[in-house]
Amino acid sequence: MIRRETIASASRSSAVLAVIAVLLVGLFCVVVILELGYSGPRPIDVDRWIRVAEEAGATNVVSSIYLGARLFDTILEVLVFAVATLGVRFYLGTRGYKEVVQSIPESNVVRVGAAVLLPPVLLLGIYVVAYGHLSPGGGFAGGVIAASGLLLAAIALGTERINARLRPAVLHGFEWGVLLAILTLATLPAPLSMPLLSDPLPSGRMGSLVSGGSIPLYNAMIGVKVFLSSWVIAKHFVDHRGEI
Amino acid sequence: MGAFHGVTIAIVLFGIGVLGLVIRKDLVIKLLALGLTNSATILCLVSLDSRTPGAAPILVPGVEAIVDPLPQAIVLSAIVINFAILALALVFVMLLVERYHTTDSARIERETNAEEETWS
Repeated sequence: MIRRETIASASRSSAVLAVIAVLLVGLFCVVVILELGYSGPRPIDVDRWIRVAEEAGATNVVSSIYLGARLFDTILEVLVFAVATLGVRFYLGTRGYKEVVQSIPESNVVRVGAAVLLPPVLLLGIYVVAYGHLSPGGGFAGGVIAASGLLLAAIALGTERINARLRPAVLHGFEWGVLLAILTLATLPAPLSMPLLSDPLPSGRMGSLVSGGSIPLYNAMIGVKVFLSSWVIAKHFVDHRGEI
Repeated sequence: MGAFHGVTIAIVLFGIGVLGLVIRKDLVIKLLALGLTNSATILCLVSLDSRTPGAAPILVPGVEAIVDPLPQAIVLSAIVINFAILALALVFVMLLVERYHTTDSARIERETNAEEETWS
């Protein structure tokens, strides 16, 4: 009993210490900001990025940056995402769970709702991916939208029926094949004797669907990769817990 | 002025996130707090370069002043990597729950200490 009380008091004192530490760090930040003299936003050179976007032929300036000037970072980001998916699969997929996954008691509302919503959600995902270089969106956002639609179908139908359509072996083959395709497209300029990570495709007419050089291609491949990886992560969580 | 408000809210959110990360014992709540700190960082970076007459950085006719697109391109990496980190961390929480049947970090710590004592 005494031990439990000492533990409680110890955690309370550590909580007080944590509050004091956070307040001190916050105070330090405020002092530093005041000392630096925060005088509003600094002047920025937006025209430079507009020129970059016009050279790439993409209306969405952000996508022309992260799939153009900062392509190297984006490729590493996709690699980090792939490694996280691999980690989820490694730690959850190798644990043999034999119990039958109980699906949620079938309800007409969920089933009909999923059947009505799945096609528009998938279509919205494809639209966001396809118009990623023209309007807000891109591969990451569109892929996650489409994967959430698939998760909705999994809630309504159970994961077994989705697994029967999207077989895990094919899924994993596609997932890593798309990653390989992204890396191939990124290294394609080297054999064509162009600067590495530059755009090997013509930029096209700005504002049309087929424009922006290789940006739509990257968007499509990243969209497929994020869609499949998100579904793999969700599937492993579901299989492990057996909730859906 | 809008940028300053955004940064202020971001600092407050970051503080709440760090406090949750340190004080709360539940591992899932700790992960939620980690997500909150990440969102606060994103809010800070995006609002630092916001402009009052500034549109989204999409080049459509009629839009004159756009905000700086570079921070938005940078935080995209932060969002995706936060998603990856949270997924992987949840897996580790699931493994811990499977072994110790609790998400309480203090109890897990006590049980690992007890295990070490029995082994030594």
